[in-house]
Amino acid sequence: MTGVPHAGSLVVSDWHRCPDSKEYFSKILHKKRRKRFGLLESPVMPPHVPVDTVHYKIFLSGKSGVGKTALAARLAGLNIPTVHHETTGIETTVVYWPVKLRESGRVLFFRLQLWDCGENALRRFDHLLPSCKDQVDAVLFLFSFTDRTSFDDLSNQITKWTESSAGCVKVVVGTKFDLFMHCDVSGREVRDFQEKWSLPVLRTGGEVTDVLGDVAPILNCLSENLWHQDCVTAGSLSRPSQPETTAL
Amino acid sequence: MFGGGQGAVLSSCETEAGGGVVWRVFQDSVMLIAVSRGGGKEEQVRLRRLLENVWSCMVLVLGQDELVHVKNVERLKKELRSCFSLIDLLLEEKLEGILGSLTHCADSLLPPNASVLQETVDGFARAADSEFGCLIVHGRIASATEKWWRLAPQEVILLSAFVRSLSSSGSASCDYPVFLPQGSPTVAHRLLRFQLLPGADVCVLCGPTPPLHEAEAQLVGRFWSPLVETLRECLALGERCLPGSVTLRPDVLALLLINRETRRSVCCVQMFPHHHTLSKTRRWELLRSFYTFSTSRYFSQEEAACGPPEERALVGDFLQGFSHQPQQCYLVTEECKSFGLQTPQHQLFLLSPPDVPTFALRTVATQTLLLLPLMN
Ligand SMILES: Nc1nc2c(ncn2[C@@H]2O[C@H](COP(=O)(O)OP(=O)(O)OP(=O)(O)O)[C@@H](O)[C@H]2O)c(=O)[nH]1
Ligand SMILES: [Mg+2]
Repeated sequence: MTGVPHAGSLVVSDWHRCPDSKEYFSKILHKKRRKRFGLLESPVMPPHVPVDTVHYKIFLSGKSGVGKTALAARLAGLNIPTVHHETTGIETTVVYWPVKLRESGRVLFFRLQLWDCGENALRRFDHLLPSCKDQVDAVLFLFSFTDRTSFDDLSNQITKWTESSAGCVKVVVGTKFDLFMHCDVSGREVRDFQEKWSLPVLRTGGEVTDVLGDVAPILNCLSENLWHQDCVTAGSLSRPSQPETTAL
Repeated sequence: MFGGGQGAVLSSCETEAGGGVVWRVFQDSVMLIAVSRGGGKEEQVRLRRLLENVWSCMVLVLGQDELVHVKNVERLKKELRSCFSLIDLLLEEKLEGILGSLTHCADSLLPPNASVLQETVDGFARAADSEFGCLIVHGRIASATEKWWRLAPQEVILLSAFVRSLSSSGSASCDYPVFLPQGSPTVAHRLLRFQLLPGADVCVLCGPTPPLHEAEAQLVGRFWSPLVETLRECLALGERCLPGSVTLRPDVLALLLINRETRRSVCCVQMFPHHHTLSKTRRWELLRSFYTFSTSRYFSQEEAACGPPEERALVGDFLQGFSHQPQQCYLVTEECKSFGLQTPQHQLFLLSPPDVPTFALRTVATQTLLLLPLMN
């Protein structure tokens, strides 16, 4: 049993609010918006501040229309599509995110490559899913607060992935939380689910008002779990990590 | 539809209010109907193009089988949704300076370091087990393998549009199944696309291998890292599409040059020296409509001659009455003067300010043609 680290036990949560993070976060911003990086580019720190970059592959899972493409765009600070256009193949989005490790104070750039494939394309073409699964480090399971069936199907999805990709990190994200008028899943059900599976469950949705704050909870949670998984694999953490602070 | 039973072919009509309706049946299966506010011959040419392009989009994404052998209409309707983003792109045609869906010539950008880019595109494609590779900068083809140019012109245009839409979303790479409307309408290929720099994408069409992550991890950096500066220079050309060494005459407001053999085109708008009266958007509109005007009346569009009968009929009555081809044409309006010039290899369309004497237009055009790189 490797368990899930308590939020904030391995990485400094809300680090983007601390003054010492500024020089790192400035590298992923441009004119107060998120900077876009081509594949040939990456955030560049001055030579006297060496920072390692760790690479991860993350798959977005969930039924058509649940908001996979929108979430990928949100996490990368790109324009979020307002109408639903099915994704007809695999699209990957790269997100750079600086993280400070709690214990050592070391700073790392997480390079999270999000793999998004339209649900209908997955069904039509057999070769897409294996390509998404290959060497995947984490899966984000998406459900929509406005679509009951997407929530009910989570257990199935998670079980399937646990069988085929044992070591990978799993995080659940509920989308369209902003559309509470049409909410189809109650807070209580979400809590029950979280308890049963002991997986992190996060929420997203709505206008982006704070460029970093909007995505920090998801990106920090993902980074922390990925780092934890790496430590477990490397054997440096043989027992479940003890929380240093009481997590919410 | 009523006439069809009697063997009559009716393919368009105009409403009393001056609107136009145009339709066409594809593969005896799907009928597409386009309705627009404007009527007239030019509008018909545009709508026919649109129908053809929309059908090709549908084939590109879904494959022809799905569209021709319809088992379940409801399911097809649902599946068609996946083409909407591409179709929307064609309907909007908002992007200024991209005329390919109208001309069926590939919008190109003429890079300063053409030979290095060519070598790299060739090498990159080969390494990805593909003969079809293409570098797209600002939505225009900067370099492509020889085989890419041998795809049907319409496929080249559609793939460019497809890459443009993927690129503008900001994603880093993708692996999309695509059917080639003419070359491979029933068997899907894989379109791999990599965003090298924001605005610069390289893509290859390939078979089952290599996997996306492998091509990305092993090939992208190896081939393209050494060219970062060259790519930045291409990006810096911006919408002008021409090497910095080319200086256009000040009395050229906008131009479109087509190489009729290679089916490539460049176009640009020249905002300086100042002719403030015409906005950039308006110039693109005028260039588009002058192109449609010329090709629907005087110059032939290459494929029109071999297109469906409705389309052939549209090549002006003017043309059909003569055994020879017009070489030049012009149009004078209050806003600007337009001149079109045709040689066996090229077509040039340009806009000049209204104060340029009409008799001087020919000189402006011939001189400009001599200045331009010819995309051979
Ligand atoms: N209000 C709101 N709308 C959202 C949210 N997430 C997604 N949407 C909308 O939901 C629709 C579908 O989202 P997509 O991200 O395209 O869906 P998808 O999961 O990628 O779907 P496929 O590609 O077909 O598998 C779009 O119109 C989005 O704008 C959200 O958090 N809030
Ligand atoms: Mg999608």
